[in-house]
Amino acid sequence: MPTQYYLFLSLALFCIGIMGTLMRRNAIIIFMCIELMLNSVNLLLVAFSKMYGHADAQLFVFFIMVVAAAEVSVGLAVIVLMYRKVHSVDVNILNRLKH
Amino acid sequence: MAALLLLLLTGVNAYEALTLPLEGKRLFNDMLMPGQVSAWFNTLMTGCTLLYVMLSGRDIRKVGNHVADYFALIFFTLCGLYILSSYNTLLMLFLGIEILSIPQYILAGADKRNLKSSEASLKYFLMGSFSTGILLMGIALLYGAMGTFHISEFSFPTTELFSPLALAGILLIVVAFGFKVSAAPMHLWTPDVYDGAPTPFASYMATVMKVAAFYAFIRLFHNSLGSVSNKWMLVIMIITAATLLIGNITAVFQQSVKRMLAYSSIAQAGFMLFAVLSVNELGRQSLIIYAVAYTLATVGMFTVLAKLKDYTYDGFNGLAKSNPMLAFATAIFIFSLAGIPLTGGFMAKYYAVSALMTQGNAMWLVLFGLLMAAVSVYYYFRVIWAMYFKPGTPQLHEPMTTTDNWLLLFTASLVILVGVAPQLVLAFA
Amino acid sequence: MTGMIQYAWLVPLFPLAGFLINGLGWRSLSRKMGATIGSLSVLVPFIISLLIFLDVRTGSNSVLSYFPFIQSDGLNIPFAFQIDSLSSLFLLIITGIGFLIHVYSAGYMAEDDGIVKFFAFLNLFVFSMLLLVMGANYLIMFIGWEGVGLCSYLLIGFWYKNQDYTSAGRKAFVMNRIGDLGFIVGMLLTLYCYGTLSYSSLFPQIGSANDLVSTNAKEWIALCFFIGAIGKSAQIPLFTWLPDAMAGPTPVSALIHAATMVTAGIYMIARSHLLYDATPITREIIAWIGLATALLTATIALRQYDIKKVLAYSTVSQLGFMFIALGCGAYTTAVFHVLTHAFFKALLFLGAGSVIHAMGGEQDMRQMGGLGKKMRITQITFLIACLAISGIPGFSGFFSKDEIVSAAFAHGKMLYAGALLGSMLTAFYMFRLYTLTFTGGFRGTHDQEHHLHESPATMTFPLIVLAILSVFGGYIGLPAVMSSHHLLSSFLGLNGAVVNQPDFLKSFEALHHQEWTLIAISSIVAIAASIAGWAAHRKPAFSANKGLALAFEKKWWVDELYDAIIVRPFLALSSAFDRGVERKGIDGLVNGTGKLVRWSAERMRLLQSGQVGYYLFVMVIGIALLLAIGFFGNPF
Repeated sequence: MPTQYYLFLSLALFCIGIMGTLMRRNAIIIFMCIELMLNSVNLLLVAFSKMYGHADAQLFVFFIMVVAAAEVSVGLAVIVLMYRKVHSVDVNILNRLKH
Repeated sequence: MAALLLLLLTGVNAYEALTLPLEGKRLFNDMLMPGQVSAWFNTLMTGCTLLYVMLSGRDIRKVGNHVADYFALIFFTLCGLYILSSYNTLLMLFLGIEILSIPQYILAGADKRNLKSSEASLKYFLMGSFSTGILLMGIALLYGAMGTFHISEFSFPTTELFSPLALAGILLIVVAFGFKVSAAPMHLWTPDVYDGAPTPFASYMATVMKVAAFYAFIRLFHNSLGSVSNKWMLVIMIITAATLLIGNITAVFQQSVKRMLAYSSIAQAGFMLFAVLSVNELGRQSLIIYAVAYTLATVGMFTVLAKLKDYTYDGFNGLAKSNPMLAFATAIFIFSLAGIPLTGGFMAKYYAVSALMTQGNAMWLVLFGLLMAAVSVYYYFRVIWAMYFKPGTPQLHEPMTTTDNWLLLFTASLVILVGVAPQLVLAFA
Repeated sequence: MTGMIQYAWLVPLFPLAGFLINGLGWRSLSRKMGATIGSLSVLVPFIISLLIFLDVRTGSNSVLSYFPFIQSDGLNIPFAFQIDSLSSLFLLIITGIGFLIHVYSAGYMAEDDGIVKFFAFLNLFVFSMLLLVMGANYLIMFIGWEGVGLCSYLLIGFWYKNQDYTSAGRKAFVMNRIGDLGFIVGMLLTLYCYGTLSYSSLFPQIGSANDLVSTNAKEWIALCFFIGAIGKSAQIPLFTWLPDAMAGPTPVSALIHAATMVTAGIYMIARSHLLYDATPITREIIAWIGLATALLTATIALRQYDIKKVLAYSTVSQLGFMFIALGCGAYTTAVFHVLTHAFFKALLFLGAGSVIHAMGGEQDMRQMGGLGKKMRITQITFLIACLAISGIPGFSGFFSKDEIVSAAFAHGKMLYAGALLGSMLTAFYMFRLYTLTFTGGFRGTHDQEHHLHESPATMTFPLIVLAILSVFGGYIGLPAVMSSHHLLSSFLGLNGAVVNQPDFLKSFEALHHQEWTLIAISSIVAIAASIAGWAAHRKPAFSANKGLALAFEKKWWVDELYDAIIVRPFLALSSAFDRGVERKGIDGLVNGTGKLVRWSAERMRLLQSGQVGYYLFVMVIGIALLLAIGFFGNPF
C-alpha cells in the first residue's frame, strides 16, 4: 500500500484526537484523546520507517510509548489529586485562576 | 546538599566548556553533540540554578513535606536542559523536552493543600501533553520528508518544490516550541500556571526551563533549518509581534505582581524570539545574554515576591522604608526587566535588537519591539512607585535574614555586572 | 599642566562614590555628614574639571578608552570618554553649578528627614550627567541619558507623600521614554548605516568622499536623535512634563530642570553637529519647533501665578531659543546660551527657592509682594538674573540672546521676527514676576509676614556667586563688532569640536554692517518690555482671566488634549485586551473573538467545556492560522 494512505489515516486520527480534546469536558477523556494523537504519530512513524527501510523511526516509537507511559502516571496522579478535592474530573470546575 | 551538588555540576560544565572543541564532540552514535558553546550555556544555567536554590531554598522547603522530591525534580529538569543544549537528533530533542516538562507538571502541583496549585498542575499537564502531540507530529512529518532524525544531516533541495511534509513539520515544531516558551497564541497557560504554582517553582519554570526551550529552539532553527529560514521566518515574525503585543498590553492591566510577572515573562519571550529570528552568530550570543540577564532578574523578583504576604502592587507599598535592602535589590531587578542601561536587561535587549537589525529584514519588528519596551516601563515602574513613593507597611512572611539580604544584593550586583561587562557572559560563546 | 586629561575618569568616580556612601547609609548617616559628603563629591570633580579645562585650552584633547564594552563580530564599542573643548565646558557647568546647588541644598533641605537620600540621588544625577557628556560614543551617552531621566523621576517624586508629585514624576519619565525611543532608533540606524557609534570614527565618515549613506537616511537619523532631544529638552510636543516637574524640591528644579539635564538635548545636537550640517531639512524642523515652543510657552508664562511655574515655562521657552540657534546652524551660539542660561536660570530658581523658604512653602505670587524689604540679598541677585534673562545690555543674557536673534536674522526674516517677539515676551513676564514678588505691599497672611526672613548663608552664598557669573558670564562671547575675539567660539573650535555650519557662517558674516542695528533693536525691545512688565504690575489686581488670557493660564489646554487623545485610548485598549482576549469564559469569548467563534463554539459545546478547552481552542485556531500563513502567505 502507498505510504500516503498511512499518512492520511494518521492525520485523520490526529485530527480526531484534537477535536476530542476540544469537545470533551472529562479530563480523563481529554487525556485519552491526547493519547490518540500520540498513537497516530506512532503509526505514521512506523509507516515512514517502512518506506525508508530504516529501523530508527521504529525505535522512536518505543521512546514515545515509554514517555507516554510516564506522562500517564503523572497525569493520572494529578487527576486523582484533583478528584479528591472537588469530587469531579470535569475541567469546567477549573476556574479559580483567571484574569 | 543540593547546593553542593549544583556547585559541582557548574564546575564540571565549566571544565567541559574549557575543554570541548568548538564544533562539538559526537556522543552516543551522534545522538548528542555537546560543544563549547552548549557546555558554556550549561555552566551559566547551572550557575543560575545554584543561585536560585540558594535564594529560594527556604521557600522550597515550606511548600510541602516532600522536600527531597522537589530537589530531585529540579535535577531532572537540569538533565533535560543538558540534553536540549546538545541534542543532535530529533529523538533527543523530544526526550529532552519531555524530561524538562514532566517534572514541571509535578512541581506546579507540589502544594497539595492548595486547590489552585492542583488546578495549575492539571491545566499545565493537559495543555503540555497536547503540545507534545503537536511536536511529535511535526517530528514525524519532518522525518517523512528528510528520512533521518539527525539534524546535522538535513538537506533541503535547492531547486525542486519544497516538500509540503517538511514545511508542515517545521511549522508544527515552531508551534510546539512556541508553547514551551509561552509565545502567543500558545501562551494562555502561562499566567494561570505561574499564578497557581507555588511561587518558588513558578520562578524556576519562568526562567531556567523557558530559557532551555529557547536554546533548543535556536539550536534546531539556526543550524539545520537556517538554510530554509525564508520558509518559517514570517510565521515566527507574526508570533513574535503577537507575543510582544499581548504580553505587554495585558501586563499593564494586572493588579497582582505575580500575574504581571507572568505576562512580563511572555513579553520578554517576545524579545528572546528576536534571537531566533535573526539566524546569526550575534543572535545566539544575544540569547545567552538574554537568558542570563532575564533569569537573574526574574528569579530575584520571584524571591522577593515569595517573602511578601500580599502579591498585589499594594503589597509593595512602603517597602523602601521598612526593608531598604530588599527594596533596593527589587529596584535593580525591575530596572533590568525594563531594560534600563547599566543593567543586564539593557544589554540583553541591545544585543537582541542589534542581532535582528544585522539580519535586516524585520525592521518593523525592531521598531515595534522598542515601542513595546517603552510600554513595559509603565507597568514595571508601578512596583518602584509602590516601594518608594507610597506609604504603607508591607507584611513579610518572616523577617529577612542577613543571608537573604546579602544573597539578593549579590544577585542584584550580578545583574549590574552583566550590564557593565557583557563580555564575561560571552566568554565561551 | 598637560596630562590632566588622563585623570578624567576621576571626575565621575567621586559622585558615584558619594551616591554609594549616601545611598547605602542613608539611615545611619547624620544630616550634616550626608550633606558634606554629597557636596565634597562634587567639589573635587569641579577642581579636576577646572584643571582639565586649562589643559584642553592648550589644545590637547583625547579619547580615553577603558575597556571593551560590547565586542562581537563586526560590532565593537569600547567604554570610552572623549575629552575635548565641548565636553570640558559642560564638565565645568555641571560640576560648578552642581556644587553650588549642593551647598544650597544643604541649607534648603536642612529640616527634611530624607536629606541624605536626597543627596544620594543628586550625586547619582551628577554621575549620570557626567557620563552623558564625557562618553565617547552614543551608547555611553545613552546610558547617562537614561540615568539622568531616572534621577529626575526619583527627585521629582521625592516628596512622595503627595500623590500629585509622584504622578508628575511618572509623567516626566514616560515622556522622556518616548523621546528615548527616538534616541534608540537613531542609534540603531546609525549602527546600521555606519557600523559604529563612536564619535571619532563616525563623524569623519559623514560627508567624506566614501560616505555611501543617502541624504535621506541621514535626515532620518538626525530626526530620530532630535526626537530624543525633544523629550529631554522639553520641546513641543513633549514639553508638558517640565512644568509638572516643578513638584520636586527647588534645588532639583534649578540643577536638573534648568541648568543641566534639559540642556542635554542641545549638547547632543552640538556634539553631532557634523551630522546636522549634512541634514538641512531636519535643521529647518528644529528651528521652527524651537520657535513654536519658545513662543507658546512664553505666552503661558504670562499668566501663571505659581512662581516656579513661571520659571519652568521660561526655561522651556529659553530652550526653544537654543533650538532656534541649533536649527540655524549656529551651534556655538546655542552652547553659549546654555552657559549663560545655566547661570541666570539656576540663580532664578535658587532665588525663588529662597523666597519659598521664607514664605514657608507658599508658591503663589498673589500671596507675595514687597519681599525685597526683608530679603535684600535675594532681591538684588534676583533682579540681576531678571536683567540677564531679559537681555538688558551689559548682562550675560544679552550677549547670548543677541547672538541667537542675529542668527535667526541671518536665517530668515520670519524666524527673526518670531525670536524678537519671544525675547520681548521674556522680558515682560520676568519683570511681572519680579514686580509681583519683591515690590509693592505684602499680600499674604499675617503669620507669613512675621515669618519672613533672609535665608541662611549656605543659601545666599550660591546666589551671590551665580549673580556675579550672570553679570560677567557673557563677556566670553562679545559680538564681532565689539571685539574680534569671540573667546567661546574659538575655544569650542579647538580641534574642530564644535564649528558652526559653513553656509551659515557665510551668511552670518555677510550681515556685519547691520549688526549694530540688530543690537540696538534687541536692546530697545528688551528694555521697553521690561519697563512695561514692571509698570503693568506695580499695582496688581487679580481678576479671573478671560479669552486669550484664560488660554494662557490653562496652558492652552495641552494636558487635557493629551489626556483625551493618548492616555485614555491607551488605557481603554489595555482594558479591552484584558477583557476581550484574556478574560476567559463566555464574555471573553463573545467579545474577543467575535461572532464566528460564538457560532462555532455553540456547535462545539465549547462554551460549556470551560477554560482548558478555551485555551486549547485558541491554540488550535492559532495553529491553523499559522499553518495557513506558512503555506500560502510567504513573501520571501
